[in-house]
Amino acid sequence: MSTCTNCRLPHHSEPVTHAQWESENIFTWCTNCGNYGIHGAFKRAMVAEGLKPEQMLLCFDIGCHGNGSDKIRGYRLHGLHGRVIPLAAGAALANQRVPVVAFAGDGATMSEGIGHLVHAIRCNYDITFILHNNTNYGLTTGQASATTPEGVPMNSSPDGVSAPPLAPSHLALSLGGSFVARTFSGDVKHMTRIFQSALHHQGFSFVEVLQACPTYAKHSTHEWYLERIFDVQEDEAYDATSREQALSVSQDVSKRIATGILYQNTRIPPFSMLQQNRRERASELVDEVEPQDITQYFDLFR
Amino acid sequence: MSKKTAKTTKTISRKRRVIRVGGESGQGINSIGEILAESCKDAGFHVFAYREYPSLIRGGVASYQVEFGGAPLSAPSRECDLLVCVSRRALHTYLTDVRPGGMVLHSVDHAAFSKEEESLIAEREITVEYINAARIAIEHSGRSLLANVVLLGVVWQLVGLARSIVEAVVVEVFGKKQELLQANKLCLKAGSELKLERLQPILFDFKPREAWQDSMIMTGNHAIGLGAIKAGVRAYYAYPMTPSSSILKFLADTYHQSGMLVKQAEDEITAAQMALGSMAMGTRAMTGTSGGGFDLMTETVSLAGMIEVPFVCVIAQRPGPATGLPTWTAAGDLNLAIYAAHGEFPRIVVAASDARSAYYLTQHALNWAEVYQTPVLLLTEKQVAESLFNLEAADFAREIPIERGLVAADEREALKPEDRYKLTKTGISPRWNPGDAVAEYDLNSDEHLPDGTLTEDAAPAQAMIDKRLRKLDAILKAVPEPVRFGATTASTTFIGWGSPKTAVLDAIAQGADCNYLHFDIVYPLKTKMLKKTWSEAKRTVIIEQNATGQFADLIAAKTQLVPDDRLLKYNGRPFFVEDIHEYLSQGGVS
Repeated sequence: MSTCTNCRLPHHSEPVTHAQWESENIFTWCTNCGNYGIHGAFKRAMVAEGLKPEQMLLCFDIGCHGNGSDKIRGYRLHGLHGRVIPLAAGAALANQRVPVVAFAGDGATMSEGIGHLVHAIRCNYDITFILHNNTNYGLTTGQASATTPEGVPMNSSPDGVSAPPLAPSHLALSLGGSFVARTFSGDVKHMTRIFQSALHHQGFSFVEVLQACPTYAKHSTHEWYLERIFDVQEDEAYDATSREQALSVSQDVSKRIATGILYQNTRIPPFSMLQQNRRERASELVDEVEPQDITQYFDLFR
Repeated sequence: MSKKTAKTTKTISRKRRVIRVGGESGQGINSIGEILAESCKDAGFHVFAYREYPSLIRGGVASYQVEFGGAPLSAPSRECDLLVCVSRRALHTYLTDVRPGGMVLHSVDHAAFSKEEESLIAEREITVEYINAARIAIEHSGRSLLANVVLLGVVWQLVGLARSIVEAVVVEVFGKKQELLQANKLCLKAGSELKLERLQPILFDFKPREAWQDSMIMTGNHAIGLGAIKAGVRAYYAYPMTPSSSILKFLADTYHQSGMLVKQAEDEITAAQMALGSMAMGTRAMTGTSGGGFDLMTETVSLAGMIEVPFVCVIAQRPGPATGLPTWTAAGDLNLAIYAAHGEFPRIVVAASDARSAYYLTQHALNWAEVYQTPVLLLTEKQVAESLFNLEAADFAREIPIERGLVAADEREALKPEDRYKLTKTGISPRWNPGDAVAEYDLNSDEHLPDGTLTEDAAPAQAMIDKRLRKLDAILKAVPEPVRFGATTASTTFIGWGSPKTAVLDAIAQGADCNYLHFDIVYPLKTKMLKKTWSEAKRTVIIEQNATGQFADLIAAKTQLVPDDRLLKYNGRPFFVEDIHEYLSQGGVS
């Protein structure tokens, strides 16, 4: 269990078991879907951090990953396509005692909701964001997403995608993200470690999971990723506090793909800490719903 | 609308005087208007102020109209007793709105009237006087920019009240800049002592009341802000859009005192989603926009309906479609509020008619959203959002207790996940906040079982749809009936919602032969009082600030009641008090 005192994760001495996070509902993902690994690693991270399901709010976007909202315990908020980031940010701002994690796919994040991503990184809302990047729209049966490699034929793009892909982590870095990490759905141990670090980071923790989609993403299989990924933390010379290094290693998503904590800056305060009118308050917005005396404002109108 | 004004206005006592200040945007007419309104209020008159302005920062004709009287006022007049103009275009635009026997004061050099204008001036016996306000300002302060203050002094001379009243307001407005303050005072004095060649004092027989000196002047948007603060709203998310933006500004300007989190979001979708997320976590949050912004929010309204999380949005209406008339008024988004968002789920639509109702309806909206776990939409109009209403502290005295509809703390231990969407008789299931109980749930936008688990099975899906829709019956039982104003014996019964209430009630106060049934809650439709009023009415007229009669259509659909007439206005201008008198005097042919 973590002994971190800087972050806002709830601390308690009771051990948390894997079973507490288990749902009785049966998975509906394809065989060998990368979601199984992400799902398992996330639960492992919860157990390792001693976080109980009733202490957490997990927010889900729409897509294959979102169909997992009822395959795990915890308070869950399963919203609309592309909108999970502002939904989760609004929730997090209301009560910082309940850590908020948001999950979304590459379709939602890099297309429909890309504006939300840009501004959430800019605002540095204190949430953990886990991007399931399987380079296609799985739930709608395999259309191209903004991360599908150029030229690959997909459902509704029979002659191949005619635009270059976006590199999510590189974009997050270019926007000034305070925590940007990349991991792989085939490496549960690596994901668990990254998720834990992301949970401890104060501010917007951006985690891109390179996710195998055995059904529709024939261009980027489990094996394809295994041959290309490397962990930047294995290189002693790599400095995760250097944005320049991170920008440089994050660009390549086709030949040598960097994983690990690409960048972390702990000096950027999260949005909530910059609200000058709330700095002195120890209470959360959820604690403060009570009638206020409005006569104190009457002189403004006299 | 007819032009037969002279005929109708003779038969009624207006019980108010109207001063319109006109100029180009950016010429400082709002400052004169505001000082004038506050001064009339400080003198003990009841005040109403109405602004017209274009969607521009500089240029284009704009006006600030101040009405004052000895009895409560809440609607604008089309015609003014005194027109004050600082620009040529304003002079020619507004001349036709000067009442018979009225006056024009202007500072437009070499103003020349057309033949038509000259004959109008003669026919209505309008007195016109030019003063070289800039020259007088330079003579007394060395600053031509203070010409407006000279004009203000002249206006105050015509109103005929003590200069100390207006001077105190000027001190309040310009007090921070000491050297400017002295110059302002000198110009004000010069204006108020200027020897006028033609203009005569404005005559009126109503008296000020001491109690009103201490009253307040505020817009409907201010009142919504106060209602939100009073109701314990702790987060406001919005994207700027006229005429809703001043809610955002007011809540931001007061957030050091209130401690509210106020966030200008990157778009309306974000604002709505953040508000819903905050509500899902268990605080009170709100958003506000106009029709175009609400279009973007509608998927969030649908989500709120599905996951049964409270959601409150102010829709400040302006004429559409598209960008429409951005700075003008309308009430054309009733159907939008009632029918927007996919799927079938209960909702409540309430409509403010003035600042006072805006204050209370904001609080009701939050209570109902939480108790019924469903979206509540608060409709306002530019006319309500931005006009200045005169209120007393007593207008805020009624207490609306906060109702959260949450499971009590001592009952949360026994909760099970499947209680969250429990199939109940009323359709209302237990609600508790994340982190507040061991029993966690899934607020699932997919159709779901009672604990939020996704289902695509026919029977449980239908049961959940029925459960949600049952809430509409509970809502209908709980919300109040519409209220009737005026004598039951009146020869015309108006029925309406939103700002037309103010024009009809002001007309009734001036002696118009009509009564009025007003709906604060427009959806779901309460029908008991409607049917009673209808059966007692000699003649029914549904009055609306839109082109198609959306509320009349709703009434017809729900009750088969068809009114004798629909009085509709949709040119961006509000119903003026004269509109009601003219309509009645013409036997009600619109």
